[in-house]
Amino acid sequence: MSNWLGRGLRRGVLTTRYPFDEAEMPERYRGRVRLVEGAPTHAVLRAASVCLSNAIEVQNESGHARMSRCFQCGACEREAPEAVHVSNDFEVAISDGEADAARHRLRERMRSLGRSFMIRHVDAGSDASCEQEIQALFNPFYDINRLGFFLTAAPRHADVLLVTGVVTHAMAAPLRETYAAMPDPRVVVAVGTAACSGSIFLTGRDVVGPVHEVLPVDVRIPGAPPSPLSIINGLWIAVGRATAHLAGPRR
Amino acid sequence: MIGAQRMTVRAAVEGVRAALAAGGRFVAAFYEEQDDARLIRYVIAGKTGLVELIGIIENGPTPALSADIPAADWAEREIRDRFGVEFSGIPETRRLLPPCDPASYRRSAAPEVSTVLYGPVRSGIVESARWVIETAGEDFIAVYPSMFFKHRGLEHLFTTVDLGRATYVAEHVSGATAASHAICFSLAVERALGIRVADADRAARLVLIELERIHQHLDALAKLADDGSLAVGAAQTFAAKERVHRLLAEATGNRFSRGAVRIGGAYGDLLATLRDVCARRLDEVEREATSVVDGLFGTQSLLDRLIGTGKLSRELVTNYGAVGPVARGNGVSSDVRMTADVLFSIGEGDEALEEDGDAFARARVRANEIRRAFFIVRDALNADLATATPSYAAQRSGVGLARVESPQGELVYFVRVVDGRLARVAIRSASFANWPLFVHTLPGNIFTDFSFIEHSFGLIQAETDR
Repeated sequence: MSNWLGRGLRRGVLTTRYPFDEAEMPERYRGRVRLVEGAPTHAVLRAASVCLSNAIEVQNESGHARMSRCFQCGACEREAPEAVHVSNDFEVAISDGEADAARHRLRERMRSLGRSFMIRHVDAGSDASCEQEIQALFNPFYDINRLGFFLTAAPRHADVLLVTGVVTHAMAAPLRETYAAMPDPRVVVAVGTAACSGSIFLTGRDVVGPVHEVLPVDVRIPGAPPSPLSIINGLWIAVGRATAHLAGPRR
Repeated sequence: MIGAQRMTVRAAVEGVRAALAAGGRFVAAFYEEQDDARLIRYVIAGKTGLVELIGIIENGPTPALSADIPAADWAEREIRDRFGVEFSGIPETRRLLPPCDPASYRRSAAPEVSTVLYGPVRSGIVESARWVIETAGEDFIAVYPSMFFKHRGLEHLFTTVDLGRATYVAEHVSGATAASHAICFSLAVERALGIRVADADRAARLVLIELERIHQHLDALAKLADDGSLAVGAAQTFAAKERVHRLLAEATGNRFSRGAVRIGGAYGDLLATLRDVCARRLDEVEREATSVVDGLFGTQSLLDRLIGTGKLSRELVTNYGAVGPVARGNGVSSDVRMTADVLFSIGEGDEALEEDGDAFARARVRANEIRRAFFIVRDALNADLATATPSYAAQRSGVGLARVESPQGELVYFVRVVDGRLARVAIRSASFANWPLFVHTLPGNIFTDFSFIEHSFGLIQAETDR
């Protein structure tokens, strides 16, 4: 018979202190994409030309990195390191601002009742990695139960809806039904670049598009897949405990 | 791959039947349109590798292989539903792809039997798929898979991007096994264009696939532990998996090693980076992984739930052309790594074979493969490699067929490159090959066995639906 308790105790505490303390991803980890200030336009254009999901836009000689479209392949930095820096910053969640009211009401309700947040997940057409990273939130390294987040099997109990993947034609209706079954106030979090912007599927004929074309989305967490720390950051924003570094528009 | 001649589809079907009778395994049927001709490329695995038979579709219905070969069932029905090819003699008349009419599912006439639709949205953190279950209470009488809700049109998407960036598309087919897909796709293109890959990059790719096998097998075992209400065991197994992802993030910049592989090799000096990171991390990753596996197999309450659950017969496994741990759990040899087209092939004695065919046997296959994967990783990292120079695209057009042993089993990519652009990409994933078998394990089991059997198969919906 295995002694799981003894084994767990011997390992000690593995759990990160994030978001109360800082956390860091490895040096090489590809997180947030930033354009180098003052980089020549031709270099930015070169970086933009290799991006499969058009995450780098150039207008009137000035470039802009659209994190919601970035699937973190690193091609831009390899092509034009003088124009793009892919940092290991994992706090990439985007708040669209319009849903502040729902978030505020949710926060007030949690405060007055001293309740935790119940999460429901729907896969709208993911590549399977986002599910595994959401699952990882419950492993001892991240343990989001400590932050008051719990998974619920019933949409009736859910406060937060996590949606992964680009929305396919067949999944649009089941996704709407799940949302409709949730009580107000409710927040929707798009997890993964495909859910946030449609990623490489945007021009595809087989998909409806990003989640916000089907449901009102409050927070988007880009990444392919977003790391568990990125998802914690996004959830913390979704329940009004932190503010996002990045804001809309939804494109 | 043997250069294949075109023939009539009738002759091709007869050829396939003969090859299967001679001991071959049905792998795939890929539909292709080329110069106004409509083709079906039949792929069979023989002793020496993959063999192709190319049939030209003529007027009138195409004779169906699935009339007597169950392994061809999904392949032919997908071609029928997606491309409108007419077949004669497909025994399963129901649609494979959505929209499916729920009324068409029901087979039982008994009034006490009810039909339950399970999915596509299910509880927990799971991928979307649906099962149509006929039940009279707690038992499975018949189950019918209704999948492809997640069809994203990936095979078509390949043809809209340039070759240099198409590997990123392959990583979107299954992000959880991105290395297997990126490498298999790259291999197919490299075959098509006559590109030789440097040994160091081949070794690095091998390391990525084996590390992927370790994290996916740990994922499947952790979910089995969770099904068995073994909360601490599941948490510890997921923690062991997390350590693999951290190693990969440190070495490749992505927790699922995306963006590491390119056609012709790998980005940067991947082998040197892997050697450096593994020198610091691999011992700990291995210690944790093997100790949780030992722990799981020492927990009788979990084993009791696995033994005898979801039992398959060897006949069924062979008839359906199952691959990966599902086949090996029934003693059916199917490891692609045994064939010569990998850098270090594994010997016959090294294949993790079990005989019992139940969830426990499939879990044991995974446990043994986790242990062996660490050996293969170390072999590849320590290998004294010849500094063979890679060669670059010898030609701009060609066809290539490649396979790798992904964590779920044999993964196959077919590519046609015309003037440096992808004209056709077709994928036969291990999950696509194994799902048709899944429903056969259910009758005789009860509802609470479902998740055990599902997780003992450990398949990925994203690579099935594409």
